[in-house]
Amino acid sequence: MGMIGDLLLAWWDDAASGAHNMAADEMLAAEAARRGQPLIRFYGWDSPTVSLGGFQAIAAARSIPAIAAAPVVRRPSGGGALVHGTDLTYALAVPRGHAWARSPLPLYDAVHEALVAVLDEHGVVARRHPGWPASPADPFFCFSRRASGDVVAARPGQGAADDDPKILGSAQRRLAAAVVQHGSLLLTSNPGVGAAARHPGLADVGGGVCLESLRGVAEAWTRHIAAAGGLRVIWQPATFAAGREAELASALARYREARWLERR
Amino acid sequence: MAAAGNERFAKTHEWIRPEPSGVATVGISAYAVEALTDLVFMQLPAVGKRVQAGESIGEIESVKAVSDFYAPVAGEIVEVNTALPGKLETLAADPYGAGWIVRIKPDDPATLAGLLDASAYDALVKSQPH
Repeated sequence: MGMIGDLLLAWWDDAASGAHNMAADEMLAAEAARRGQPLIRFYGWDSPTVSLGGFQAIAAARSIPAIAAAPVVRRPSGGGALVHGTDLTYALAVPRGHAWARSPLPLYDAVHEALVAVLDEHGVVARRHPGWPASPADPFFCFSRRASGDVVAARPGQGAADDDPKILGSAQRRLAAAVVQHGSLLLTSNPGVGAAARHPGLADVGGGVCLESLRGVAEAWTRHIAAAGGLRVIWQPATFAAGREAELASALARYREARWLERR
Repeated sequence: MAAAGNERFAKTHEWIRPEPSGVATVGISAYAVEALTDLVFMQLPAVGKRVQAGESIGEIESVKAVSDFYAPVAGEIVEVNTALPGKLETLAADPYGAGWIVRIKPDDPATLAGLLDASAYDALVKSQPH
Protein backbone atom coordinates (compact mmCIF):
# COMPACT_ATOMS: atom_id res chain seq x y z
CA MET A 1 0.00 0.00 0.00
CA GLY A 2 1.36 3.40 -0.95
CA MET A 3 2.07 6.15 1.52
CA ILE A 4 -0.28 9.11 1.64
CA GLY A 5 2.14 11.18 -0.46
CA ASP A 6 1.83 8.65 -3.28
CA LEU A 7 -1.79 9.53 -4.00
CA LEU A 8 -3.38 12.05 -6.30
CA LEU A 9 -6.87 12.79 -5.01
CA ALA A 10 -9.29 13.96 -7.69
CA TRP A 11 -12.70 15.64 -7.68
CA TRP A 12 -15.27 16.57 -10.27
CA ASP A 13 -16.96 19.78 -9.12
CA ASP A 14 -20.19 21.34 -10.32
CA ALA A 15 -20.27 24.40 -12.56
CA ALA A 16 -20.03 27.57 -10.48
CA SER A 17 -19.44 31.31 -10.70
CA GLY A 18 -16.04 32.82 -11.38
CA ALA A 19 -15.56 34.04 -7.82
CA HIS A 20 -16.56 30.63 -6.44
CA ASN A 21 -14.13 28.84 -8.72
CA MET A 22 -11.20 31.11 -7.83
CA ALA A 23 -11.99 30.76 -4.13
CA ALA A 24 -12.16 26.99 -4.50
CA ASP A 25 -8.80 26.92 -6.30
CA GLU A 26 -7.25 28.94 -3.49
CA MET A 27 -8.74 26.54 -0.96
CA LEU A 28 -7.44 23.59 -2.96
CA ALA A 29 -3.92 24.96 -2.45
CA ALA A 30 -4.47 25.30 1.29
CA GLU A 31 -5.90 21.79 1.41
CA ALA A 32 -2.91 20.35 -0.50
CA ALA A 33 -0.58 21.98 2.03
CA ARG A 34 -2.69 20.71 4.93
CA ARG A 35 -2.82 17.14 3.63
CA GLY A 36 0.72 17.11 2.25
CA GLN A 37 -0.37 15.61 -1.05
CA PRO A 38 -1.33 16.70 -4.58
CA LEU A 39 -5.02 17.37 -5.28
CA ILE A 40 -6.76 17.97 -8.57
CA ARG A 41 -10.25 19.16 -9.36
CA PHE A 42 -12.10 19.60 -12.63
CA TYR A 43 -14.89 22.13 -12.92
CA GLY A 44 -17.11 24.20 -15.13
CA TRP A 45 -18.64 27.69 -15.16
CA ASP A 46 -22.29 28.54 -14.68
CA SER A 47 -22.24 31.18 -17.44
CA PRO A 48 -19.78 32.57 -19.98
CA THR A 49 -17.23 34.25 -17.69
CA VAL A 50 -14.03 36.16 -18.31
CA SER A 51 -11.12 35.48 -15.97
CA LEU A 52 -8.42 38.12 -16.01
CA GLY A 53 -4.76 37.42 -15.36
CA GLY A 54 -3.65 38.70 -11.98
CA PHE A 55 -1.95 41.78 -13.43
CA GLN A 56 -4.24 42.63 -16.33
CA ALA A 57 -6.03 45.98 -16.29
CA ILE A 58 -9.77 45.88 -15.67
CA ALA A 59 -10.08 48.86 -18.00
CA ALA A 60 -8.75 46.73 -20.84
CA ALA A 61 -11.45 44.14 -20.22
CA ARG A 62 -14.16 46.77 -20.07
CA SER A 63 -13.06 48.29 -23.35
CA ILE A 64 -13.74 45.12 -25.36
CA PRO A 65 -17.38 45.06 -26.59
CA ALA A 66 -17.23 41.33 -27.34
CA ILE A 67 -17.09 40.50 -23.61
CA ALA A 68 -19.12 43.42 -22.27
CA ALA A 69 -22.01 41.19 -21.18
CA ALA A 70 -19.89 38.58 -19.42
CA PRO A 71 -19.11 38.61 -15.70
CA VAL A 72 -15.42 39.18 -14.96
CA VAL A 73 -13.28 37.66 -12.22
CA ARG A 74 -9.61 38.21 -11.52
CA ARG A 75 -7.46 35.11 -11.12
CA PRO A 76 -4.70 34.83 -8.53
CA SER A 77 -2.43 33.59 -11.34
CA GLY A 78 -0.94 35.52 -14.24
CA GLY A 79 -1.20 35.34 -18.00
CA GLY A 80 -3.88 36.53 -20.38
CA ALA A 81 -7.66 36.64 -20.07
CA LEU A 82 -9.74 33.51 -20.62
CA VAL A 83 -13.33 33.22 -21.74
CA HIS A 84 -14.84 30.30 -19.86
CA GLY A 85 -18.04 28.41 -20.41
CA THR A 86 -17.11 26.08 -23.24
CA ASP A 87 -13.93 24.79 -21.63
CA LEU A 88 -12.92 22.09 -19.19
CA THR A 89 -11.03 23.76 -16.37
CA TYR A 90 -8.72 22.05 -13.92
CA ALA A 91 -6.82 23.11 -10.84
CA LEU A 92 -3.95 21.00 -9.53
CA ALA A 93 -2.40 21.91 -6.19
CA VAL A 94 0.80 20.47 -4.76
CA PRO A 95 2.46 21.11 -1.41
CA ARG A 96 5.74 23.00 -1.50
CA GLY A 97 7.73 19.93 -0.52
CA HIS A 98 6.65 18.02 -3.62
CA ALA A 99 9.03 17.68 -6.57
CA TRP A 100 6.43 19.29 -8.86
CA ALA A 101 6.60 22.49 -6.78
CA ARG A 102 10.34 23.03 -7.06
CA SER A 103 10.01 25.39 -10.03
CA PRO A 104 7.19 26.25 -12.44
CA LEU A 105 8.16 23.85 -15.20
CA PRO A 106 7.78 20.33 -13.74
CA LEU A 107 4.09 20.76 -12.95
CA TYR A 108 3.41 22.55 -16.21
CA ASP A 109 5.19 19.81 -18.15
CA ALA A 110 3.38 16.98 -16.35
CA VAL A 111 -0.09 18.37 -17.04
CA HIS A 112 0.48 19.45 -20.61
CA GLU A 113 2.36 16.32 -21.69
CA ALA A 114 -0.44 14.27 -20.17
CA LEU A 115 -3.06 16.04 -22.28
CA VAL A 116 -1.04 15.55 -25.45
CA ALA A 117 -0.95 11.83 -24.65
CA VAL A 118 -4.72 11.68 -24.06
CA LEU A 119 -5.47 13.50 -27.29
CA ASP A 120 -3.15 11.17 -29.14
CA GLU A 121 -5.26 8.28 -27.86
CA HIS A 122 -8.27 10.03 -29.42
CA GLY A 123 -6.55 10.60 -32.75
CA VAL A 124 -6.00 14.32 -32.26
CA VAL A 125 -2.57 15.52 -33.34
CA ALA A 126 -1.52 17.88 -30.58
CA ARG A 127 1.87 19.13 -29.48
CA ARG A 128 3.52 21.62 -27.17
CA HIS A 129 4.25 24.95 -28.77
CA PRO A 130 7.79 26.40 -28.46
CA GLY A 131 6.29 29.76 -27.53
CA TRP A 132 6.33 33.26 -28.90
CA PRO A 133 8.42 35.92 -27.13
CA ALA A 134 6.55 37.45 -24.18
CA SER A 135 6.20 41.20 -24.10
CA PRO A 136 4.13 43.86 -22.33
CA ALA A 137 2.23 44.17 -25.62
CA ASP A 138 1.04 40.55 -25.48
CA PRO A 139 -2.51 40.03 -26.77
CA PHE A 140 -5.26 40.41 -24.16
CA PHE A 141 -6.58 36.86 -24.47
CA CYS A 142 -4.62 33.83 -23.30
CA PHE A 143 -5.64 31.87 -26.37
CA SER A 144 -4.15 34.55 -28.63
CA ARG A 145 -0.76 34.07 -26.94
CA ARG A 146 1.70 31.19 -27.19
CA ALA A 147 3.82 30.46 -24.14
CA SER A 148 6.40 27.73 -24.26
CA GLY A 149 4.62 24.46 -23.57
CA ASP A 150 1.09 25.57 -24.45
CA VAL A 151 -0.78 22.73 -26.12
CA VAL A 152 -1.77 23.40 -29.71
CA ALA A 153 -3.49 21.11 -32.21
CA ALA A 154 -2.97 20.89 -35.93
CA ARG A 155 -5.91 21.82 -38.10
CA PRO A 156 -7.47 18.70 -39.63
CA GLY A 157 -5.59 17.57 -42.72
CA GLN A 158 -2.80 20.06 -42.24
CA GLY A 159 0.70 19.78 -40.87
CA ALA A 160 2.02 21.60 -37.81
CA ALA A 161 2.06 25.37 -38.15
CA ASP A 162 3.30 28.13 -35.89
CA ASP A 163 -0.22 29.54 -35.59
CA ASP A 164 -1.92 26.22 -34.81
CA PRO A 165 -4.90 26.78 -32.50
CA LYS A 166 -4.04 26.73 -28.81
CA ILE A 167 -6.35 24.43 -26.90
CA LEU A 168 -4.75 24.36 -23.43
CA GLY A 169 -3.16 27.15 -21.43
CA SER A 170 -2.21 27.07 -17.76
CA ALA A 171 -0.90 29.42 -15.09
CA GLN A 172 0.38 29.02 -11.56
CA ARG A 173 0.16 30.81 -8.26
CA ARG A 174 3.14 29.92 -6.10
CA LEU A 175 2.26 30.39 -2.44
CA ALA A 176 4.41 29.85 0.63
CA ALA A 177 2.94 26.45 1.46
CA ALA A 178 1.67 25.19 -1.89
CA VAL A 179 1.55 25.77 -5.62
CA VAL A 180 -1.75 25.80 -7.48
CA GLN A 181 -1.85 25.54 -11.25
CA HIS A 182 -5.08 25.99 -13.11
CA GLY A 183 -5.74 25.80 -16.79
CA SER A 184 -8.37 25.73 -19.46
CA LEU A 185 -8.90 23.11 -22.14
CA LEU A 186 -10.99 24.89 -24.76
CA LEU A 187 -13.62 22.46 -26.06
CA THR A 188 -15.45 24.62 -28.59
CA SER A 189 -15.50 28.22 -29.66
CA ASN A 190 -17.64 30.17 -27.19
CA PRO A 191 -20.91 31.50 -28.70
CA GLY A 192 -21.69 33.38 -25.47
CA VAL A 193 -19.31 36.21 -26.35
CA GLY A 194 -18.69 38.31 -29.44
CA ALA A 195 -16.61 37.03 -32.34
CA ALA A 196 -13.55 39.07 -31.30
CA ALA A 197 -13.33 37.04 -28.09
CA ARG A 198 -13.83 33.61 -29.64
CA HIS A 199 -11.10 31.08 -30.31
CA PRO A 200 -11.29 27.67 -31.98
CA GLY A 201 -11.50 24.77 -29.57
CA LEU A 202 -10.85 21.05 -29.50
CA ALA A 203 -13.95 20.24 -31.55
CA ASP A 204 -12.72 22.58 -34.27
CA VAL A 205 -9.48 20.64 -34.69
CA GLY A 206 -11.00 17.19 -34.96
CA GLY A 207 -11.39 16.44 -31.28
CA GLY A 208 -15.17 16.38 -31.22
CA VAL A 209 -15.13 12.78 -30.08
CA CYS A 210 -13.59 13.92 -26.76
CA LEU A 211 -16.72 15.94 -26.01
CA GLU A 212 -18.82 12.78 -25.92
CA SER A 213 -17.26 11.78 -22.61
CA LEU A 214 -15.69 14.72 -20.88
CA ARG A 215 -15.40 12.78 -17.66
CA GLY A 216 -13.59 10.07 -19.56
CA VAL A 217 -11.15 12.65 -20.90
CA ALA A 218 -10.64 14.10 -17.42
CA GLU A 219 -10.06 10.64 -15.97
CA ALA A 220 -7.57 9.70 -18.67
CA TRP A 221 -5.83 13.05 -18.30
CA THR A 222 -5.58 12.59 -14.55
CA ARG A 223 -4.28 9.06 -15.02
CA HIS A 224 -1.48 10.31 -17.28
CA ILE A 225 -0.63 13.17 -14.89
CA ALA A 226 -0.45 10.73 -12.01
CA ALA A 227 1.74 8.35 -14.00
CA ALA A 228 4.20 11.19 -14.65
CA GLY A 229 4.52 11.73 -10.91
CA GLY A 230 4.46 8.08 -9.87
CA LEU A 231 1.12 8.66 -8.15
CA ARG A 232 -2.01 6.58 -7.77
CA VAL A 233 -5.32 8.34 -8.52
CA ILE A 234 -8.28 8.17 -6.18
CA TRP A 235 -11.47 9.90 -7.35
CA GLN A 236 -13.40 11.35 -4.42
CA PRO A 237 -17.20 11.19 -4.29
CA ALA A 238 -17.71 14.67 -2.78
CA THR A 239 -15.95 17.95 -3.34
CA PHE A 240 -12.84 18.61 -1.29
CA ALA A 241 -14.55 21.71 0.12
CA ALA A 242 -17.31 19.73 1.86
CA GLY A 243 -17.31 20.74 5.51
CA ARG A 244 -15.28 23.85 4.83
CA GLU A 245 -18.15 26.08 3.75
CA ALA A 246 -17.24 28.98 6.05
CA GLU A 247 -13.69 29.08 4.70
CA LEU A 248 -15.02 28.97 1.16
CA ALA A 249 -17.48 31.79 1.86
CA SER A 250 -14.69 33.96 3.21
CA ALA A 251 -12.51 33.40 0.16
CA LEU A 252 -15.51 33.87 -2.12
CA ALA A 253 -16.22 37.28 -0.58
CA ARG A 254 -12.66 38.39 -1.31
CA TYR A 255 -12.89 37.38 -4.97
CA ARG A 256 -16.17 39.29 -5.28
CA GLU A 257 -14.72 42.52 -3.88
CA ALA A 258 -14.18 45.44 -6.24
CA ARG A 259 -10.89 45.99 -4.43
CA TRP A 260 -9.62 42.69 -5.85
CA LEU A 261 -11.25 42.89 -9.26
CA GLU A 262 -10.14 46.47 -9.83
CA ARG A 263 -6.69 46.23 -8.28
CA ARG A 264 -5.24 47.16 -11.65
CA MET B 1 27.68 41.03 -7.12
CA ALA B 2 27.78 37.80 -5.15
CA ALA B 3 26.24 37.46 -1.73
CA ALA B 4 28.24 39.57 0.74
CA GLY B 5 28.30 36.78 3.27
CA ASN B 6 26.37 38.47 6.04
CA GLU B 7 22.96 37.81 4.50
CA ARG B 8 20.39 35.73 6.30
CA PHE B 9 17.80 33.73 4.41
CA ALA B 10 14.14 32.87 4.88
CA LYS B 11 12.89 29.41 3.98
CA THR B 12 10.75 31.14 1.36
CA HIS B 13 13.98 32.19 -0.42
CA GLU B 14 14.27 35.88 0.51
CA TRP B 15 17.61 37.18 1.73
CA ILE B 16 18.07 40.03 4.21
CA ARG B 17 21.27 41.94 4.91
CA PRO B 18 21.76 44.38 7.80
CA GLU B 19 23.19 47.71 6.74
CA PRO B 20 25.29 50.08 8.88
CA SER B 21 22.42 52.59 8.87
CA GLY B 22 20.23 50.24 10.89
CA VAL B 23 17.92 49.25 8.05
CA ALA B 24 18.10 45.89 6.30
CA THR B 25 18.11 45.25 2.57
CA VAL B 26 15.90 42.46 1.21
CA GLY B 27 15.96 40.56 -2.07
CA ILE B 28 15.31 37.08 -3.37
CA SER B 29 18.01 34.46 -3.68
CA ALA B 30 19.78 33.52 -6.89
CA TYR B 31 18.29 30.04 -6.54
CA ALA B 32 14.74 31.41 -6.43
CA VAL B 33 15.30 33.83 -9.30
CA GLU B 34 16.68 31.07 -11.48
CA ALA B 35 13.53 29.04 -10.92
CA LEU B 36 11.36 31.92 -12.17
CA THR B 37 12.16 32.22 -15.83
CA ASP B 38 10.91 34.93 -18.19
CA LEU B 39 9.86 37.57 -15.66
CA VAL B 40 7.26 39.98 -17.01
CA PHE B 41 5.91 42.04 -14.10
CA MET B 42 6.64 42.95 -10.51
CA GLN B 43 4.51 44.65 -7.89
CA LEU B 44 6.32 46.36 -5.03
CA PRO B 45 4.91 47.40 -1.64
CA ALA B 46 4.39 51.01 -0.63
CA VAL B 47 7.01 52.84 1.39
CA GLY B 48 5.78 53.22 4.94
CA LYS B 49 3.90 49.91 4.96
CA ARG B 50 4.22 47.98 8.21
CA VAL B 51 4.76 44.27 7.71
CA GLN B 52 4.88 41.13 9.79
CA ALA B 53 7.44 38.39 9.32
CA GLY B 54 6.18 36.01 6.65
CA GLU B 55 3.68 38.52 5.25
CA SER B 56 3.50 38.84 1.47
CA ILE B 57 4.98 42.16 0.44
CA GLY B 58 4.81 41.87 -3.31
CA GLU B 59 4.33 39.70 -6.35
CA ILE B 60 6.44 38.68 -9.32
CA GLU B 61 4.85 37.45 -12.52
CA SER B 62 6.73 35.21 -14.90
CA VAL B 63 5.32 33.76 -18.11
CA LYS B 64 4.05 30.72 -16.22
CA ALA B 65 3.60 31.76 -12.61
CA VAL B 66 2.83 34.46 -10.10
CA SER B 67 4.94 34.22 -6.96
CA ASP B 68 4.70 36.14 -3.72
CA PHE B 69 7.74 37.38 -1.90
CA TYR B 70 7.63 37.72 1.85
CA ALA B 71 9.00 39.95 4.58
CA PRO B 72 11.73 37.99 6.38
CA VAL B 73 11.23 40.07 9.55
CA ALA B 74 8.64 42.43 11.00
CA GLY B 75 9.20 46.11 10.48
CA GLU B 76 8.50 49.08 8.25
CA ILE B 77 9.24 49.31 4.53
CA VAL B 78 11.45 52.39 4.28
CA GLU B 79 12.61 52.16 0.67
CA VAL B 80 11.73 50.19 -2.47
CA ASN B 81 13.81 49.63 -5.57
CA THR B 82 11.58 51.52 -7.96
CA ALA B 83 13.94 50.88 -10.89
CA LEU B 84 13.44 47.13 -10.65
CA PRO B 85 9.99 46.64 -12.26
CA GLY B 86 11.26 48.39 -15.39
CA LYS B 87 14.43 46.32 -15.50
CA LEU B 88 13.50 42.87 -14.24
CA GLU B 89 16.57 41.27 -15.77
CA THR B 90 18.51 42.87 -12.91
CA LEU B 91 16.96 40.34 -10.54
CA ALA B 92 18.78 37.51 -12.28
CA ALA B 93 21.90 39.45 -13.22
CA ASP B 94 22.64 40.79 -9.74
CA PRO B 95 20.25 39.29 -7.16
CA TYR B 96 22.35 40.35 -4.15
CA GLY B 97 23.27 43.81 -5.45
CA ALA B 98 21.30 45.96 -7.89
CA GLY B 99 18.48 43.40 -7.74
CA TRP B 100 17.57 44.31 -4.15
CA ILE B 101 13.82 44.77 -3.69
CA VAL B 102 13.05 46.65 -0.46
CA ARG B 103 14.71 48.05 2.64
CA ILE B 104 13.06 47.34 5.96
CA LYS B 105 13.60 48.95 9.33
CA PRO B 106 13.25 45.89 11.55
CA ASP B 107 11.19 46.18 14.70
CA ASP B 108 13.80 44.03 16.40
CA PRO B 109 17.14 43.68 14.57
CA ALA B 110 17.91 40.62 16.68
CA THR B 111 15.27 38.65 14.77
CA LEU B 112 17.61 38.47 11.78
CA ALA B 113 19.74 36.03 13.72
CA GLY B 114 16.81 33.61 13.79
CA LEU B 115 16.92 33.20 10.02
CA LEU B 116 19.12 30.77 8.09
CA ASP B 117 22.77 31.60 7.51
CA ALA B 118 24.27 30.99 4.07
CA SER B 119 25.39 27.43 4.79
CA ALA B 120 22.03 26.45 6.26
CA TYR B 121 20.23 27.99 3.30
CA ASP B 122 22.54 26.16 0.91
CA ALA B 123 21.67 22.91 2.67
CA LEU B 124 17.96 23.74 2.36
CA VAL B 125 18.30 24.30 -1.36
CA LYS B 126 20.23 21.07 -1.82
CA SER B 127 17.50 19.19 0.04
CA GLN B 128 14.78 20.41 -2.34
CA PRO B 129 13.15 17.52 -4.22
CA HIS B 130 14.29 17.08 -7.80
